[in-house]
Amino acid sequence: MHRVAEKIIFFTAVIKNLMELWNEIIHTAMLGTDKKAISVDTLADDLSEAATLINSNTNTDKEEKFLQLASVIFNYRQSGALPLYKEEINLQPASTEEKEYCSIEAMQALQDILSEESIPLLKFWLRHCNGRQRIVNPAIIPNLFSIAMQNKSLQLPVANCCGKRGEWLARFNDAWNFSVSELPEQIWQTGTTEQRKSILKDTRKINPQLAREWLIQTWPQEDAAARISLLELLNENIGEEDIPFLEQVLSDKSKKVKEEALNLLKQIPSSPIVQLYQRVIQQAISMKKEKTLLGLSSKTVLNFTLAGTINEEVFKSGIQKLSSQKDTSDERFIIYQLLSQVPPSFLETHLGATPLEIIRWFSNSEDGEKLLPAIGLAAGRFKDKTWANHIINDDHRIYLDLIPLLPYNTREKYLLAHFDNAAETIVNVISREENEWSAELTKQVFKYTAKNPYQYNRSFYNMHIHLFPVQIVGELERCTPPEDNLRGMWNNTSDYIIKLISLKIQTIKAFIN
Amino acid sequence: MTLSEEQILALAPDEASRKSGKDLANPSKWVMKAVNDAALWGECQGSGSKPYQTQIDIANIAFKCSCPSRKFPCKHGLGLLLLYARQKNSFSSAGAPAWVTEWLAKRTEKQEKQEEKKDKPVDEAAQAKRQQARQLKVNDGIDELKVWLKDIVRNGILNMPEKGDTYFLNVAKRMVDAQAPGLAGMIRSLAEINFYTEGWQTKFMDQLLRIYMIAEGYGNINSLNDSLQQDIRTWIGFTQNQEELKEKDGIVDTWLVLGKQTIEEDAVTTERNWLYGIDTNSYALVLQFIIRGQGAQLTLTPGLFMQAELVFFPSLSPLRAIIRQQINTNAISTFKGWFANWNEVAQSETMLNAVLPFRSERPFVLQQLKPVNYNGQWWLQDAQQKMMQLKNDYKTIWKILAISGGEPVDMAVIGREDSYEPVGIWHNDEYKIL
Repeated sequence: MHRVAEKIIFFTAVIKNLMELWNEIIHTAMLGTDKKAISVDTLADDLSEAATLINSNTNTDKEEKFLQLASVIFNYRQSGALPLYKEEINLQPASTEEKEYCSIEAMQALQDILSEESIPLLKFWLRHCNGRQRIVNPAIIPNLFSIAMQNKSLQLPVANCCGKRGEWLARFNDAWNFSVSELPEQIWQTGTTEQRKSILKDTRKINPQLAREWLIQTWPQEDAAARISLLELLNENIGEEDIPFLEQVLSDKSKKVKEEALNLLKQIPSSPIVQLYQRVIQQAISMKKEKTLLGLSSKTVLNFTLAGTINEEVFKSGIQKLSSQKDTSDERFIIYQLLSQVPPSFLETHLGATPLEIIRWFSNSEDGEKLLPAIGLAAGRFKDKTWANHIINDDHRIYLDLIPLLPYNTREKYLLAHFDNAAETIVNVISREENEWSAELTKQVFKYTAKNPYQYNRSFYNMHIHLFPVQIVGELERCTPPEDNLRGMWNNTSDYIIKLISLKIQTIKAFIN
Repeated sequence: MTLSEEQILALAPDEASRKSGKDLANPSKWVMKAVNDAALWGECQGSGSKPYQTQIDIANIAFKCSCPSRKFPCKHGLGLLLLYARQKNSFSSAGAPAWVTEWLAKRTEKQEKQEEKKDKPVDEAAQAKRQQARQLKVNDGIDELKVWLKDIVRNGILNMPEKGDTYFLNVAKRMVDAQAPGLAGMIRSLAEINFYTEGWQTKFMDQLLRIYMIAEGYGNINSLNDSLQQDIRTWIGFTQNQEELKEKDGIVDTWLVLGKQTIEEDAVTTERNWLYGIDTNSYALVLQFIIRGQGAQLTLTPGLFMQAELVFFPSLSPLRAIIRQQINTNAISTFKGWFANWNEVAQSETMLNAVLPFRSERPFVLQQLKPVNYNGQWWLQDAQQKMMQLKNDYKTIWKILAISGGEPVDMAVIGREDSYEPVGIWHNDEYKIL
């Protein structure tokens, strides 16, 4: 064998029909030597000596001869392997970066966050990185892209933090094509659904008219699912100018699309549907002066009675005719629904009074008192900050929809005042927010969640770490529940929160300079 | 000691240890921590009343900890080493306490005892008898193996995909009984071929022919030269006495650990550590077998530089080696003698195939390769625009592209013939593991 091997070294320069030769071996092997014999004629000249030697051996059977010949050809093939030469196969290198790279400390924080698998912390890190106009070390880009593939909300921030290298790299993998280099309109025209939604949402915030025009342009090409998800985004900065388009959408084939258009129209005070509701309310709510008991003074009393006939369009638009609650009459139920869908400012015009007076009049009667929450809902629907403030000051009930409309201090006071009575609901609502909570509110939340460790497990703290202020670390001990069985669990949870917050601090510090 | 965080984490036995180790790389977890020229030690407050005493021999990377974990290295060892990599200055330079000096002394003592063991007399007659009995067993096994090989080629390999694992595993078991574990492993790898991929026939035949060449070579072993005899015996599975091997001359060099491949089978983990000798421009494969529950003797991690004497197993194409002595050193960034292009690699491959046609993959360090895409697949192109195909391209290509940005980089690859798997690249004078 060694002798044969020595000969083969000289054969390497001549690679004549190498693959044909090997294919012949494979074909023979596939069928078996019982069915097919290897053709010696096909062998290259280089191998003929070895082949003759093997074939002339009278002590070996055909299987052994095949194995020997195949071994020689196998080594002939592997010894003759040469690199492939192709001209003009090239790869355009990545462009030079325009932004600065992150510091070692920032990259360390990123590595630690990735190993903790915390998406909210990753978002937090990316926000800081983008805020400082920095880019990541290139070696980590594939890892970030893979994470962003699974978490669509990370795609734009990740693409931003990966700079030119990321943009270049994404060209080789379609799944990573969430680059930011393209113009917004290009992304809108050619991007993925998520990219288009994201760009439409951003555009709607700064230029509502342009966003609407984009949607009108592509509307005929969108399928029903895309129509609903894109239409929903018009909710931001919705206004009178959107009415013609939304009315046109009311004749869409899809029931869900129509419903969404109607829902949006119900948020525009000047839309025909809101105007219709206003007319019904105008007739239903009247005001009269009544003498007090002794007849010395008078008080304003509101009367709530629907007109004899109501335009059927009202009920076609989603207003229910029948009340499902025993203590609520059908009439009051209809007025409640309508009242929650007309701008509260309309009542000021209709009744010729201030919000404060109107709230007082509503509170003074049994019917009015029960209808007051509908005005709270309307204030939330029409984002009326003035009414939101009056409602939360003058009514003891909790109005969660109004929370985002309140100024920071009022909101804080309001939440803390109602926390004990509606802890779970408040936690649910404020967990959807994006801005960090105050230390005091966080403390209240933790006191509550510490008592309910099965409902609020590690995943809750991981998912909402962006909302917890770093100062809370010093307060964690004070949130410990008195029950023995819960204390141990809270200690473990506290360690976990401290770990997450330390990553947050690490990130903040890394981007200070 | 200049291990990077990535290299330290590569030492972790599993993902959980890696994670816990990272958590412990926090100064607040350590009651005390110190360093001197020989060791790194610290006391970590665990769940017990007394803190765990963790120590690391930094000259030879070895760990010891008083914690009850069976993992090796444990999370405390990893945590301490990580912390040192991150914050060297936070370690005091106080004199080593007794528990550290005693451990280091024991390690030295153990090494000396191993040296002494060599002097013990060997019963040569009994050894020869054992060897003779084994040779007979191997001969019988190989005779059976050849019958099986011939059956396959007679009937054709067309129906191999339907045969199932047992068809191969039964023969592999027979080879274990015949005391030919090397051949058994080669036969097992026939069962591991993915018969649902294009080109399985070539993979199958390549391996079948390697087995045949070794089996046939063993039948004619007396007509071969000593080195080739040794190669064939090694492939069949005859073990080499490592103590005897250590007696032989070794190669002293600064070795860089290019890559590490780990395979877990039953209760044994096999580590394949690929090394490159910087001054002698030589390559080595250091194997380590770790039985579950027992610690590893060597602690090698990709990217580690060590001053060491390696003794190679006798072979026509020496590759496998053992480490006689090892001291970790600082990273070196200037190298010489790398392969300039793929043609040089191909020439070297031809030379190696000429002497050892059934040899396994080898590492190569090449200059200035860049990834290119051709016919929908990734290739590594040299400065002469010649290219070889990337093995397992999706595994490493993205990291290569990300780091290199499409510019040529020096690269360490492992492979043979026409496909190679990159294991590391040099970027900004630093060796990056892929």
